[in-house]
This record gives sequence, C-alpha cells and structure tokens, in this order.
Amino acid sequence: MAAHDDLSRGPKFTVHEQRAEAEALFTSIGDGAISTDEFGRITRVNPAAQQLLGYDEDELLGTWFPKKIMSVTFDDEPINLIDRPITKAFLTGKPVSEKTYYRHKDGRRIAMSVNASPILLRGKPLGAIEVFRDITFEQEVDRMKSEFISLASHQLRTPLSAIKTYAHMLFDGYMGPLKRSQKQTLKSIIGATDRMNELISTLLNITRIESGTIDVTPKLLRLDKLADEVIKELSLMASGKSINLNASVKGKAPASLRTDALIVKEVMTNLVSNAIKYTPDGGKVSLVVRPRQADVVVEVRDSGWGIPKYAQDQIFSKFFRAHNIVKRETTGTGLGLYLVKGLLEALGGSIWFVSDEEKGTTFFFSLPRKRRLTRAAKIAPEN
Amino acid sequence: MARILVVEDDRDLNRAYGIILKHAGHQVETAFDGQEALERLDGFEPDLILLDLLMPVMGGLEFLQQWSVPKRNKAVKVLIFTNMENSPEVAEAYKLGAYRCIIKSWTAPHNLAKVVEDTLKANNGKTAAAVKTKAK
Repeated sequence: MAAHDDLSRGPKFTVHEQRAEAEALFTSIGDGAISTDEFGRITRVNPAAQQLLGYDEDELLGTWFPKKIMSVTFDDEPINLIDRPITKAFLTGKPVSEKTYYRHKDGRRIAMSVNASPILLRGKPLGAIEVFRDITFEQEVDRMKSEFISLASHQLRTPLSAIKTYAHMLFDGYMGPLKRSQKQTLKSIIGATDRMNELISTLLNITRIESGTIDVTPKLLRLDKLADEVIKELSLMASGKSINLNASVKGKAPASLRTDALIVKEVMTNLVSNAIKYTPDGGKVSLVVRPRQADVVVEVRDSGWGIPKYAQDQIFSKFFRAHNIVKRETTGTGLGLYLVKGLLEALGGSIWFVSDEEKGTTFFFSLPRKRRLTRAAKIAPEN
Repeated sequence: MARILVVEDDRDLNRAYGIILKHAGHQVETAFDGQEALERLDGFEPDLILLDLLMPVMGGLEFLQQWSVPKRNKAVKVLIFTNMENSPEVAEAYKLGAYRCIIKSWTAPHNLAKVVEDTLKANNGKTAAAVKTKAK
C-alpha cells in the first residue's frame, strides 16, 4: 500500500502538496534560513532562524531583511547593504559564504557563518535565500587554539633565543678568539636557529589568520622607504648568490598609505627572500613600488626558475611546493605564500603573479588606499 | 657608561645580556621578575631598563603599572625585550610608556648593544638622573 502511495505521487502530486513539501523542507533545516524577494523583503523564516535571532515569524515576514537583521563587524560597525552576503548573492547571481555578526533582538551580537544564494527562475533572480548558523563556540575554540599556539611559540623561542645569543657571543669573540672552522660551525648553528625562528613566526601568523585574530594597526606607511629597508636587510642574502637586488618607485601618486607596517614588511620580506631563494646565482631581483590613485601595487620580479604551469593554481595552497623547486631548495615549508595571501587579505589587499618556467616570476600585490574591514582581521584603534 | 637594569626570568638569557652590556661598558644590575625589579629600583637608579614581558611572580606589564605610579622617572627608557611578536601585550607595554620593543630571538648581541646605545642617545647622552634633575 505504501509503495503504491509512493508511486502514485510523482506527476500527480498537486501544487498544494508540492508547496507543503517545500515548506516542510524549509522548516526542518537545522540552521537558520531566511528567504527574501527581489526587494530584500523577508518572505520566509524557519524556526531555527527565529530562535537564533529572537524574533517571531510575524515580526520578520514582510520586513526589509538588511534593516531588520543588523549585520555588524568585529568592531560593531554596521555592514553596508552592498556588502551583505544576501545582496552580493542577489546581485552577482552566485552563492556567497562569509562570516559575520548578526544582532539578536535583545541586542546581543552573535558570530554567524552565512551562506547566501540567489533564487533563480529560468535564470532570472526572484530573490535570495540565506542559511546561517551560530559559530560562537567555534570562535571560542579558535581563540583558545590561538592563545595556546602563541604561548607555545613563546616557550619554544625562549631556549632558541639563548642558543642564538650564546652562539653569536662565541662568534663575536666575547669568550675569546676562534679558529675559522669554529666560526663556520657557529654560523651553521645561527642559521639553523634563524630558520627555526622563521618557522615559529610563520606558524604563529597562520594560526592568527585562520582564527581571525590577527591584529592590524593602521598607521601612515611609506612603501618606498619600506622597500629600501627590506632590500637593505636582504642584501646579504642576495650578495651570497651574487644576485643583483634593487628597489625603485614608478608613478607619480604618493607612495604612502594607511596600513599595518609590520604586516606589509612581512609580506615584502617573504616575497623578496623567496625571489632570491628561487633565482639561480648571478640573477636579478627587483622590487618596484607603483603608487596609483586607488591603491599601491608592489612588484617583486625575479629571473628565477619560475613556477611550472601545472602548479600555478596551487601556489597559494598550504604546504604546496612545486617539484622544480623541491629539487633545488630543500628548506622551504610551502607555507610562505599561503601566509602572504592571508596577510594581504587581512589588510584588504590582493596578490597575483605571472610566471614562465626557466625565465622568472613576478608577484604583484596591491594595497587599497581606503581601509576595508575584513573578516580575518581584528583592527586595532589607530594611534 | 650607563646604568642598566636587566629584567629577564630566563637565567641563561639574563646572564648573556649582562655579559654583552658589561662588555659594552655599562653598569648592569639584574632581576629575574617584576617584583625583584621593583626592589632593585629602591637602591639603583638606572638610565635604561631591559624588560621581558612574560615572567613568573610579576610580569613586565604589571611591573610597568606598579612602577609608573608614582615612582617613575620619565627619563628612564624602557626597552621591551620579548618573543611575543605583534601581540596585544606589546601594544599595552607601549601604552604604559615603553620606548621600544625588540624581538629577542631575532636580535644578535651586537644589535642589542646598538639598540641600547641608540636608546640612550635619545636622552642626548645624559643619564636619566641628570635629565630628572634638570626637569626639576
């Protein structure tokens, strides 16, 4: 009998029944779900959404979604309508996933993971649907993870600092003169502690980016000066491989903008030291700062081994290293570019590249003149 | 020659900083936590304090809070020497009057000596006691 019922549904299923089934499906979604018409007015709300936001269905239906349910940043600043996931999904016709904060009816701010999709009928957008869930607990776990890594890194660094300091003291002759071979050995110890330090810094920064707890302190920064500083600091590394390293500015707009100097320096250092590392002896690495009206673009160009075509899509993935590089340089972790991309996104910037195998690579990154808040960054107040 | 108080809980590092700074011609006193540093300051008036942040008994931030009110001579420069890179604790230390922050694990001895020299020059070569007297 049951089988007969099931078979009899299908084509004979009435419009009324189909609507009831769609309603039941919508209602039974475990996460909050809200749909809107093309004007952003709420057309449906499921019980999970009502519970998450503290409103009854009657209070929400027919209201303008972006106004009724406030979305705010980490710093409690309201998010513009145009930047809300549901608006972006409706306007672009593509699904959008983001983390944001929603304001509960009682005023509380709740961290949410939001997935918004357009509702399309024969390619025409009729409205949008947003599914969201409370991620407060996940954020707390991330925060604890971040705190743990921070503390662990500190504890790892303390003995490392002692090793490095004493090795340097021996090298500098604080405990008497040394033979050349002894100095060479100490150089190896110092080099290894530097690599370990770099690794700890990278892991620490990645943890901060992934948990959204990286601190961004915007201050006026002159990128041309920073470029000179980075070149100066890496000149020893470049001269060790007889690489011609230089920095220049091209463009008439000011090379200064308000951003986080430490993060930008980390990005520049990472890209330039990568370029030196992956360029054969006697090659060329140049750093060019191109100030434009809306942003400043920085180019790091090398005459190195390049990135093979097959690897170009994966170059920003965690732990990825192209085979032509692994053969030549064994010390990399595959974390550098993943970190650089995350750091730039925290500053509202972006990164891209062009590369020809055996000819060289140019990485470009752009930093906006106007500061944009991102979900991966906690923006510190300006001093 | 300047008078320097090194506040660092790691005994190896504390000893190393003492050797480096004495080698550079300074008079050095040491303490292993913030509480001990406050006690040292009763009988020793430094020109510069080299201060770690994460220490047992009393950390660097608590030391700065307690020392600032009311005893602090503003001419005494505080160099934060920590491995807590880009952390909120460093930002807090600046608010409490730290002059500069140095990452320990990146700093070679000759750089430590140079940073100390540069910081002392900020008082135009005068000792903190001389600056304080002039201010009066």
